[in-house]
Amino acid sequence: MPQIFKPWVNRVPLMILAGVAAGGLLVPAFVWYYFSPEYTDVGYQPEQPIPFSHALHAGELEMDCRYCHAQVEKAAVASVPTSKMCNNCHSLVLRDSPQLAALRDSLANNEPVPWVRVHKVPQYAFFDHGVHVRGGVGCQSCHGDIRSMEVVTLEEPLSMGWCLECHRNPDMHIRSLDEITDTTWEPPSDQVQLAANFIEERNLQPPEDCSGCHR
Amino acid sequence: MSSIERDTPVQAPADERETRQYWRSVDRLLESPPVAEANALEAAAQAGRTPEFPEGADLPPDEVSRRTMMGLMGASFAMAGLAGCRRPVEHIMPYVDSPETTIPGVPKFYATTMPVGTDSYGLVVESHEGRPTKIEGNELHPASQGAATVWAQASVLNLYDPDRSPYPLHQSEEGGDDHGGDDHGEGGYESTPGRSSWEEFEAFWTTHAESLGDGAGLAVLTRGSSSPTIDRLRTEFLTRFPSARWTVYDAVGDANVFRGVEMAAGGAYRPVYHLDKARVIVTLDADILHTESDAVRNAKGFAASRQLDNGEPSNRLYSVEPGWTATGGTADHRLRVRRGDVPGFAAALARALGVSAPAGDAPAHVQDKVQKIAADLQSAGSGALVVAGRTQDPGVHAVALAINQALGSMGTTVTLHDAGPASYGSDADVTALVDGVDDGSIQTLVIVGGNPAYDGPRDVRLDKAIRKVPTSIHLSSFVDETSRHATWHLNGTHFLEAWGDAQGADGTLSVVQPLIAPLFNGRSDIELVNLLTTGAHRSGAELVRETWNAALGLDEKGWRRILHDGLATEPAPAPAAATIGDVSGVEYPEAPAADGMEVTIDVSRSAWDGRFSNNAWMQELPDPTTKVTWDNAALVSHATAEALDVERGDVLLLTLNNGKVEAPVFVVPGHADGTIGLSLGYGRSVGRASKGVGYNASRVRSAASPWYGTAVQVRKTGRSHELVQTQEHWDMEGRHHVEETTLASFREHPEEFNHKINHHKLPREKSHQLFEYVDYSQGHQWGMAIDLTTCTGCNACIIACQSENNIPVVGKEQVRRGREMHWLRVDRYFVTGHGVTGHGHGDGHNGNGHGDAGHGDAGHNGDHSHGASAADEAEMVFQPIPCMHCENAPCEQVCPVAATAHDDEGLNHMIYNRCIGTRYCSNNCPYKVRRFNFFNYTVETPEIAKIAANPDVTVRSRGVMEKCSFCVQRLTDAKIAAKAEDPHAMVADGDVQTACQQTCPTGAISFGNINDAESMVSKDKAKDRNYTLLDVLNNWPRTSFLAKVRNPHPDWTA
Repeated sequence: MPQIFKPWVNRVPLMILAGVAAGGLLVPAFVWYYFSPEYTDVGYQPEQPIPFSHALHAGELEMDCRYCHAQVEKAAVASVPTSKMCNNCHSLVLRDSPQLAALRDSLANNEPVPWVRVHKVPQYAFFDHGVHVRGGVGCQSCHGDIRSMEVVTLEEPLSMGWCLECHRNPDMHIRSLDEITDTTWEPPSDQVQLAANFIEERNLQPPEDCSGCHR
Repeated sequence: MSSIERDTPVQAPADERETRQYWRSVDRLLESPPVAEANALEAAAQAGRTPEFPEGADLPPDEVSRRTMMGLMGASFAMAGLAGCRRPVEHIMPYVDSPETTIPGVPKFYATTMPVGTDSYGLVVESHEGRPTKIEGNELHPASQGAATVWAQASVLNLYDPDRSPYPLHQSEEGGDDHGGDDHGEGGYESTPGRSSWEEFEAFWTTHAESLGDGAGLAVLTRGSSSPTIDRLRTEFLTRFPSARWTVYDAVGDANVFRGVEMAAGGAYRPVYHLDKARVIVTLDADILHTESDAVRNAKGFAASRQLDNGEPSNRLYSVEPGWTATGGTADHRLRVRRGDVPGFAAALARALGVSAPAGDAPAHVQDKVQKIAADLQSAGSGALVVAGRTQDPGVHAVALAINQALGSMGTTVTLHDAGPASYGSDADVTALVDGVDDGSIQTLVIVGGNPAYDGPRDVRLDKAIRKVPTSIHLSSFVDETSRHATWHLNGTHFLEAWGDAQGADGTLSVVQPLIAPLFNGRSDIELVNLLTTGAHRSGAELVRETWNAALGLDEKGWRRILHDGLATEPAPAPAAATIGDVSGVEYPEAPAADGMEVTIDVSRSAWDGRFSNNAWMQELPDPTTKVTWDNAALVSHATAEALDVERGDVLLLTLNNGKVEAPVFVVPGHADGTIGLSLGYGRSVGRASKGVGYNASRVRSAASPWYGTAVQVRKTGRSHELVQTQEHWDMEGRHHVEETTLASFREHPEEFNHKINHHKLPREKSHQLFEYVDYSQGHQWGMAIDLTTCTGCNACIIACQSENNIPVVGKEQVRRGREMHWLRVDRYFVTGHGVTGHGHGDGHNGNGHGDAGHGDAGHNGDHSHGASAADEAEMVFQPIPCMHCENAPCEQVCPVAATAHDDEGLNHMIYNRCIGTRYCSNNCPYKVRRFNFFNYTVETPEIAKIAANPDVTVRSRGVMEKCSFCVQRLTDAKIAAKAEDPHAMVADGDVQTACQQTCPTGAISFGNINDAESMVSKDKAKDRNYTLLDVLNNWPRTSFLAKVRNPHPDWTA
């Protein structure tokens, strides 16, 4: 009677075991990395109705962030500029540019420009721009070097773990209030000491409890 | 002993409290279970105990079977799988041109006024980017003083009612089809027959007005109002059409009050009650703290004179009424008297005080109380107050005023003010109008607001008149019962969309300021009246401004000031110089037969007169005293139910005034015997929330006597209707939740009382905690105290919470299963037995309870305290229950995913995105304050109603638990605001209020930082009558209660 199972079959259970063990490690690792906002969200760069360049306006022309995002120090939302505000300059500059057709339509029809949201926290998380800016967290900490971006790109994951990293140890992000809008800011050598002073002076208590953001 | 004294797993140690019984329904007291639970109880009884949960608490509703559920879920899983691959594109829509002073995301507040008939409430409305979301009281307005009624707060949902009418309708042939008033979905209007426009109506009216000449065939039917602009435009209208008729009809109005004051004082005045100066208050069928006009002012005043802790004399409230009201439930002594017997009681009380009054005597069972109340009133002198309700005939109001005059309280606790523009109806006018239509002398009828075809009386057929008159024009926000019969339906506005004004009872002029442009392009009543007169449209803003300029001579700055404040502070309201004459000869109702049956008809504590019946919040709001939702019932006492041989749910056929109504019985202990209590506002034939819910009590109403009738035939139909309540679920397990005492004994031994209610509490030590001990001695530590003495059970807090926290409505079927979502509920208990006030026992043992320990009276548990008669002598107590925010919280200890956790400010919060829906927390919560989203209750919210949501609070989805958060969004905002000013600042006391606290008309809720010894809440918690619920469980709740203190007559039962 010929042998049905060759000798190598003896190794099959071992191979299965090894496969399961490898899979058991690989699948979580795969999910861990590829399902995280770090992978899925960072780099998000949607096409906008108007190809607005932060690099040109905020970088080259050195316009202050707060000229357009006027409420960023006062309110929870930074406020995207109104069409009229764009028109403050563009009624004189590039009046007929085809790239600004959406703006002209907006003004003519009294309908908003439908900007695509890039930086987004979930509906159940409540982020307040004013609190962070007044506390000395710069634009850069969440939005990256936005003054050099041709097209706005998501640079940070904006996940809860990422938020909490800073809430637990904000030292490397706290700066003097006149450097808030500097998106190429680097922590100086005495940053730890400076941050400690700022935290003391501004009485910063970044919440780590759920109710800090979730209501 | 009854079922509520069984052995239970955890129970307050047996002690002296046992002599007083707290119970929720007569079924519980008498051990006969509610019909729906009978079977389950029977099965459980064999197993030796009653079940903890009502039958079916774990089942989905009948409409969605398990199989379809799985199918639906399967489908949505598949969709979720696909949708999850891509990031959904979300747009940011900035303004094209930013409105001045608007900061996106930061709400703005505007003052306005809500007129309800002649009554008006000053309001402050929160507006998010132009959409009103939350209504609060206006602190500057003397009739609101910062608080708001349930109706004022819920009216924001009426604004976004998807059933509102979007355009005028014209029906050229009389008696045509109904104008699809129901179920018209989006876009469905295009096919609606008779669609018209305001321009077409204007064109029609221009030609029609010419044919009317001096208006001989023209009549206007409107509701009572106190608007100076309406008054002015009415005069102009009657100048243009001198022969026209102007008739007022109110389903719920103060005509009796006005007429009674006129009888007594000889002029058109409105009474204002100053309860803050009152020492002894007697209400004659008057729910002054809840449904009567000026209820918020009254409630504020009542709380102010209910002084308990500073040694000042406290007021004493006697309530004489047929059915339970919030006022009766709060009263120190309540006499249950048929509505028809109240005039006799008033006359007897007047005579006992030496006032010459018309004939009449108090009914036999309360005759011995008349002298006692009279003596108490006498001793209070100018601090006495006798108030008659709007349901009582004018004569009773006249007698009440005469009593106040005799006691010297006119000018102190009651002031009379010029009625000014206030208008009210009379049955003679309405009868004349209907007769005019019948004999053809009226050819054109304009109905400005109101819904007379639905709420008109039975014996004067307004509905028939509307059908018969050749041209009928109806202004209304809805295509309702009246619109269906009118030749023209004109779409109206909501008060948040329209300009208007109102004069308060004390003469305060306030302005109705729109928060939003008309969502459905409607026009307001004043715009219509002006159009009728002039034939041209003018905006309400101009019309109101014209009135005010003429009255007050305002410049632009003055007008802006008024818009900011919501009212004119100058000239300050002043009482009129009116004198009360002799009332012995006034027209006075005769006493009904002593053994006769009467039917009373009252305003609904939810749907009002029907204008809130399509408001889902109000439909689901439990009645303050019966706790019935999504229905109105025929309320009877236990004795009456026995006499009629009916049980809860049996449908009765009542015939009265040639009308019939079928109403399900609800047995209420303490309802007056021989009275069947009906309420208005239900039985609508239109509206997605209101259609087919309850019965329409106006079908048995008479124009001359709208509030009660005696010639009633009662027949059993043999059918049964299920009434659902929010409080009969679950079991009290024999625990005492309410602590109470009397003022006299509390003042004598406050520490003893404190010991009695707090001695089970364990010391706050590490050894008593299973989990890590947390030190809460730093920073803000939030806490709440609720005063049971001043809680009137009015439900304002529930609607405030619902509006602030986006709480969904679940519907009757889900409420039946105990799945209502209210974060804050108001429990209502009946109390019998050895009374704090000595009810039912003649020993006058007015102890605070400890003296009653082990009272050896063998008879006290006999048939007397358990029988129906004892149940009918019950007292009532209300207890609002929000989340207790236990420091040692049982819910947190069982959550497998830490979705409920504590923060460093002592809040127990619920993290929706973490919750996986095990419901362990809810099962482990001893207070049953956690609410579970069994379904995605908000998903079917119509698009337009979604914009009523508060953007600062997460909208919850299916499968997550939720509960009171102490309005954490307000706390966060307050902390941010405080730190923006000064980084080291704390939130000052009073700078943050929870929604319930803010709106409570009696200020029964205090909230704040308990680490601050000077805060209101700390002071409240330091009081001797402060206690926490179920303290034996060592939960350390942050919410505590101040025990109820009754102030009974010292020898009431002697």
